[in-house]
Amino acid sequence: MSLRQKLLLLFSLTVAAAVAAVAWTVLVRIRHVFEMRDQEETALFVSQFQREFQHRSQEVAAAVNRLAASERARAMAFELAQSDDAAAYLTEAQSMAQDAQLDFLEIVGPDGKIVSSAQWPARFGYPEPAAQNASATPFLKREDLPDGSTALGLFAVHAVGGTTVRLIGGERLDQGFLADLPVAPGMQIGLYSDAGAAASSGPAAIVSNPSTTTTFDASRLLGANGSLPGATFYQSLIDAARTSGQQVNGIVNPTGRREDSLNATAIPLKNEQGNVMAVLVVAIARSGMVQAQQHIRAIAYGVAAGGILLAILCSLWIAARVSRPIEQLALAAEQVAGGNWDVRVPPRGRDEVSVLARSFNHMTEQLQSQRDRLVQSERVAAWRELARRLAHELKNPLFPLQLTVENLVRARELPEAEFDEVFRESTATLATEIANLKTIIGRFSDFSKMPKPELERIDAKDVVERVRALYETAASRDAKIKLTVDVAGAPMPLDADPELLHRALSNLVLNAMDAMPDGGVLTISAHPKGDRVELRVADTGQGMTHEECERLFTPYYTTKQHGTGLGLAIVQSVVADHAGSIAVESPAGGGATFIITLPRAAA
Amino acid sequence: MLRRFAISFSLVLVCVCAGARTRPHYGGSLRVEVAGDPWVGPEGLARRLVLDGLTALDANGFVSPALAVEWQSDSGDHRWQFRLRQGVHFHDGSPMNAVAVVMALNTACSGNCPWTAVRAVGSAVIFTSDSPMPNLPGLLAGGMYLIALTRTADGQTPANPIGTGPFQFTSSNNGQLTLTANESCWQGRPFVDEILITGNRPTREQWLDLNVGRTDIAQVPPQELRQAQQQHLAVVVSPPVELLALQVSDAGALTNAVLRAALAQAVDRGALFNVIFQKQGEITASLLPQSLTGYAFLFPADRDLNRAIELRGGLTAPRFVMMADFDGTMQLAAQRIALNLREAGFSVQVVSSPSSVRPDLALLTLPIEGADPAAALETLLRSAGENVPVAGRNPTALYRAEHDFLDLKTLVPLLDLPRAWAIGSRVRDVRLRADGTPDLAGASLEGTQ
Repeated sequence: MSLRQKLLLLFSLTVAAAVAAVAWTVLVRIRHVFEMRDQEETALFVSQFQREFQHRSQEVAAAVNRLAASERARAMAFELAQSDDAAAYLTEAQSMAQDAQLDFLEIVGPDGKIVSSAQWPARFGYPEPAAQNASATPFLKREDLPDGSTALGLFAVHAVGGTTVRLIGGERLDQGFLADLPVAPGMQIGLYSDAGAAASSGPAAIVSNPSTTTTFDASRLLGANGSLPGATFYQSLIDAARTSGQQVNGIVNPTGRREDSLNATAIPLKNEQGNVMAVLVVAIARSGMVQAQQHIRAIAYGVAAGGILLAILCSLWIAARVSRPIEQLALAAEQVAGGNWDVRVPPRGRDEVSVLARSFNHMTEQLQSQRDRLVQSERVAAWRELARRLAHELKNPLFPLQLTVENLVRARELPEAEFDEVFRESTATLATEIANLKTIIGRFSDFSKMPKPELERIDAKDVVERVRALYETAASRDAKIKLTVDVAGAPMPLDADPELLHRALSNLVLNAMDAMPDGGVLTISAHPKGDRVELRVADTGQGMTHEECERLFTPYYTTKQHGTGLGLAIVQSVVADHAGSIAVESPAGGGATFIITLPRAAA
Repeated sequence: MLRRFAISFSLVLVCVCAGARTRPHYGGSLRVEVAGDPWVGPEGLARRLVLDGLTALDANGFVSPALAVEWQSDSGDHRWQFRLRQGVHFHDGSPMNAVAVVMALNTACSGNCPWTAVRAVGSAVIFTSDSPMPNLPGLLAGGMYLIALTRTADGQTPANPIGTGPFQFTSSNNGQLTLTANESCWQGRPFVDEILITGNRPTREQWLDLNVGRTDIAQVPPQELRQAQQQHLAVVVSPPVELLALQVSDAGALTNAVLRAALAQAVDRGALFNVIFQKQGEITASLLPQSLTGYAFLFPADRDLNRAIELRGGLTAPRFVMMADFDGTMQLAAQRIALNLREAGFSVQVVSSPSSVRPDLALLTLPIEGADPAAALETLLRSAGENVPVAGRNPTALYRAEHDFLDLKTLVPLLDLPRAWAIGSRVRDVRLRADGTPDLAGASLEGTQ
């Protein structure tokens, strides 16, 4: 990824992250504000509900009290207390309930059994536990009805005229009750009471056991206008409230669209024993909050998109100001590394990048000049070395020449026969030393006239075989050296000059033979190494020190008694001309290995 | 002398007045109000006034001649011959003869007749049957076999009921039937000129009308007898003439006789009797009342809820449907029975309207007619749709017949109930028939000339 792309990405991420952070914060805040508002509205409604509930309770209690205080009830209670015959009052509760406008009314005799029931006339004679256990305060109760259904009611109990006859009267808590409650716009209210079919065993179970939780029935969730829309979606909330007995909040989504979701609160309504009789559901539409969030989200997306666009523009500008000079610098550095030291980076401006460009330019100039000086000094050093070597090489044969000429001059004074012998010896010595001189000069000439390689496609294996063929017999016969060859079976193509390569390899073989005067093993190997070919010449001689290894390829450096020191220099020159490298390894235990690495020719 | 004359004159005057008071007068319109349809059912009030049967039950419940003057059986009661009364005419003037009687009988009972065939032979009507019909005369006195004209002289089906009774159908307007006296009734002209019967009138409104003089006779349901007496209504009460019973289907889940037995054991008759019916009538577990048979006490009437639960065992019965009349008391009784059954582990739904499917349970009232136990038993069973001929006539045979039938648990007797009527002050000589309905043919009104 280029610097420009990184910058672009960085800017875009920065803008997007900033916008996202702000948007998220705003969204969270908005949700919090709306939830607070919903909670307040719910709490307000609940308090209103409780007031209405209280009001209804008082109404019911008052109605029951009036009935209980009436002359009719007193006469009935007196009669019931005097005689066992309650049959005459079988339909009394219906009539009294009608007069008092109560939905439920039961007359319970001194024995705690129902004398007359308005809502279920056939239940006479069955016990009514509520009459005994209820306190003076109105209470919630589920009332079983003859058709098997149950109804939730608000009940009050009152004794008649100080007797043990009690009246239990009540009003339904149904959608009529809900319709009287003040409902804020966007608010839905519902009342859920357990359906509970009448128990199938025992009269005591006919009064729904409040502690039994039946399965959720959506038709039992009533709103002010009938069944609450989407009632099934309130199931989890209502079940949680019924189970835990605590107020439960949650979000309900009847249609699946977020705009239609509601913040719902389920408030359990309990009787005196703490059993949940019904659940009041208050749901407030979240459409306002959702719309606000969507609006903010849209703005955020717009701002983010704008920011990213701005980031692109900025990155383009920054690229022009920052990354391009850096790219130029990088390109120039690459060229310098590749050997082109003439490259320059135009400095622009006065910032750090331009300073860097100027420094780069200065550095390359310095490098170039230093390289020039180095080359110059190397040249001088090379000439000096050449002169020194030449002087050293030439001096050796010249000294015997000088002595021989001086001998000849002195031998002139000797008798002729002795002069002839001296003359013959001296001329032989002169001829030998002159030949030696010619050899030395020939080597220098050869080294100076190292030809450019003429490249052709050859195989490394052929080169090794040619060397082996040339030296194997001589090595084993004369030097007691075992010549072994280790060549890879796969082709190892090279673009090389076969003669120069043969010459280099021959020099290494000769040096190796020279390093084992007492015999040994000479190994020539050739193996592919990736995209290169490695030629090795290894001997088992006495090896070399680290210092000797370092100086080995210096022209005219030699460890041999006799030699010009040019052999390895020639090898190095050939290898360099073939874009290869040469190295030497000489472990402490002895022996040395010369490693020539050449680029493998493309297939 | 003068004192003797005055005393004599006073005595004569008293005698004349007393005689004048006990002698019924002709004329006037007798107004009757009932809660149901006066024409519906064999016990319909109006039917009894317009139609006669071959036989009738007298005031003591015994079979007496009506349109037939005598009858005899042979072939072991497989054949009966009824000789018709002569000189009797239908209200339209057409003569009542054997052919008309046969046609009427064939129309009246289509399918569930006690006889196999009925034919006219001269002035006699011959009944034959594959099984003995020892109670045929008593059966023919029932409301099911009243004789109505089925074809007029011109071969048409009468639009209104035409019979031979003391009153003839005149009109029916706005729920009120008008029956006018049959001047040439074979039983003699009734005292009142017409009877106006208003149907579907709630009991309380009937009493109100009675109190203000808008009606002369009103119904008093047995459960309201006490109230009627508290309100000082003049009430005439019959002996138990209705059996309140729970009919149990033997289909579906109730094919299991053990379940039916459990249902029977679960019903609490005491609550029905003591509270709902205000201790009117009698608790019974037999088909015929104790007063009629003497052996009703042999059928135990106490509730045994434990036994009922034991019989139900672990069986999971489906929800049963119980049908009862729309009448409030019957609905209340049905609801109470449903509660009783619920205690035994049965789930019951009470409905008031009949459906195409026969209900599992039905609370119904069956007539107990006549003083002849065998005839009464057979009539009762036929009313319940049970085609169970009652052959024996002695108490042992009757007990066995009842016992065997009740053992099936398809009919659970609950209460024997009377019928009662509140009579207005101007009505005289109202007697109740054997079926508990007032015999209005013999009633007269005071203050008419």
